[in-house]
Amino acid sequence: MSGGMKNSKQALATPTEAILESISDGVFTVDMDWRITSFNRAAEEITGVSRQEAIQRRCSDVFRSSMCGTGCALQQTLKTGKPIIGKSGYIITSDGNRIPISVSTAVLKDAGGKLVGGAETFRDLSEVEALRRELDSRFRVGDLVSRSPLMQRVFEVLPAIAASPSTVLILGETGTGKELMAHTIHDLSPRRQGPFIAVNCGALPDTLLESELFGYKAGAFTGAAKDKPGRFDLARGGTIFLDEIGDVSPALQVRLLRVLQERTYEPLGATRSETTDARVIVATNRDLAEQTRSGAFREDLYYRVNVVRVQLPPLRRRKEDIPLLVDYFIERFNRLQRKAIQGIAAEALSLLMAHHWPGNVRELANAIERSFIMCSEGLISIGHLPEELTAHGLSASMGANVRSAHDLLDAQSIRTALERNNYNRLAAAHELGIHKTTLFRRIKKLGISLPEQDGRSGKARAQ
Amino acid sequence: MRKAAFAYWDNRIAPVFDSARQLYLVELDDSGQIIAEARETLPDDQPVQKVLRLAELGVDTLVCGAISRSLQEMLCAYGIRLVPFVAGELPEVIQAWRSDGLPADAFAMPGCRRRCRSLRQRTAMGGRNIS
Repeated sequence: MSGGMKNSKQALATPTEAILESISDGVFTVDMDWRITSFNRAAEEITGVSRQEAIQRRCSDVFRSSMCGTGCALQQTLKTGKPIIGKSGYIITSDGNRIPISVSTAVLKDAGGKLVGGAETFRDLSEVEALRRELDSRFRVGDLVSRSPLMQRVFEVLPAIAASPSTVLILGETGTGKELMAHTIHDLSPRRQGPFIAVNCGALPDTLLESELFGYKAGAFTGAAKDKPGRFDLARGGTIFLDEIGDVSPALQVRLLRVLQERTYEPLGATRSETTDARVIVATNRDLAEQTRSGAFREDLYYRVNVVRVQLPPLRRRKEDIPLLVDYFIERFNRLQRKAIQGIAAEALSLLMAHHWPGNVRELANAIERSFIMCSEGLISIGHLPEELTAHGLSASMGANVRSAHDLLDAQSIRTALERNNYNRLAAAHELGIHKTTLFRRIKKLGISLPEQDGRSGKARAQ
Repeated sequence: MRKAAFAYWDNRIAPVFDSARQLYLVELDDSGQIIAEARETLPDDQPVQKVLRLAELGVDTLVCGAISRSLQEMLCAYGIRLVPFVAGELPEVIQAWRSDGLPADAFAMPGCRRRCRSLRQRTAMGGRNIS
């Protein structure tokens, strides 16, 4: 015990040393030959190197950070005399673990003001990184990315939906990611090892769709030389995804109803029924309830598929996701195309935020992919974005600056207000909170083309 | 015939292989005489590109400073023997390697004497088995 006291008395020789020992940031100092002259307790803990081993060794051999060498922060500080605060990197411990850190540096001078070395403090960011990853994962399920409250609600119930064997109905406009959602449900389900078979029911004529779904036997029709398994058969032990279910003919609806109710079907030309254990996920961009009311979609089939319903909101209702999705697509296309695009310029992002996105996430993905062709490095700017986002009567000579971004946003707001008000200028001006003469002036200046008939003349004609 | 690559910076073994770019290649004949020496720049790309380049160069041993576990495993998968966590002046380290003296504590990075020696021997043996 007395030995321990002696050690602690030695360790806490000066108040400065006591403070350095108590803090959770690693601190070391070096002389002008890059040899370590002091190494605090936290530095020992973070690097896994004891003070005894560290003292008088070259700092790069002890610290082993990604910055050691050409990116040395301390070397830069000693050269310029300016401290560096919070430079990020990682160190490698003796067991090969990478520890994310941030470093700060300062010069050391003696009482006469002569440069005698440098000091480096470093912070272990492992916990921060882990928290950041956890936070990211809250906004990400499989390939689905969203921080919108509307989608968060979907994310919360997704594991439960995936675990159940019930039929799922996915509703959403075109491009909202219905197939991606179906795939994610499959990937989260106990059937993830089984196949995921997708069929677009709207892309095939009725007879072809029937043979695609249920298969046929040899001799069922001219040219059917041998048996062909249907998609239901291929999806055995897995999931079958029927997209555009709202486009299926009434005759095929009856056959689908039977599969969903009894899990049996007959391939074309077969004399015996076959059973299926595939989980069924269906999707449509149509209003199935309305189709049921109008008689275009069978009521019994509607109730059979509408067991668990997932509604995907259009992108215009979750615009807060646009920055997150843009980052996601940039990261993805960087990886696929081996590029290093750093991100998107603020004015270009503003333009994306103002767009109506009728094609939803697919349209956004295409816009980013298109901008990758135009942009070779740095940030994606307005000039790299597709014309349909930037055009609408503005001349290209205006250039990609903040002013033109402002005009583009103005033009988009005015156009949206006009469309919403059936081109009634007065109503549009009211909605925008500006006087109608200001609106006329802006329309003229921005060169917005308008239909000949306006809201008033339409109304007059209707009357 | 033996061919080794030494990841270096400023005429010393580079402290971190993951961020190192410069390689010094040494080829020995069966009697231990140097038959070829060369300098090579590694791609500043995905870690796997570095490992692929080493494999392309026909390197059978890599002598380097600190190295992350994922890169150690990749090198092992490509049958490249690894002598990691080495510190020192490049000519001295090359000399020690030629005389099979690299496991010496004098060339071990601080904090790596006991812990990393077993790793060095294990990975080196793993590499031999594969090759």
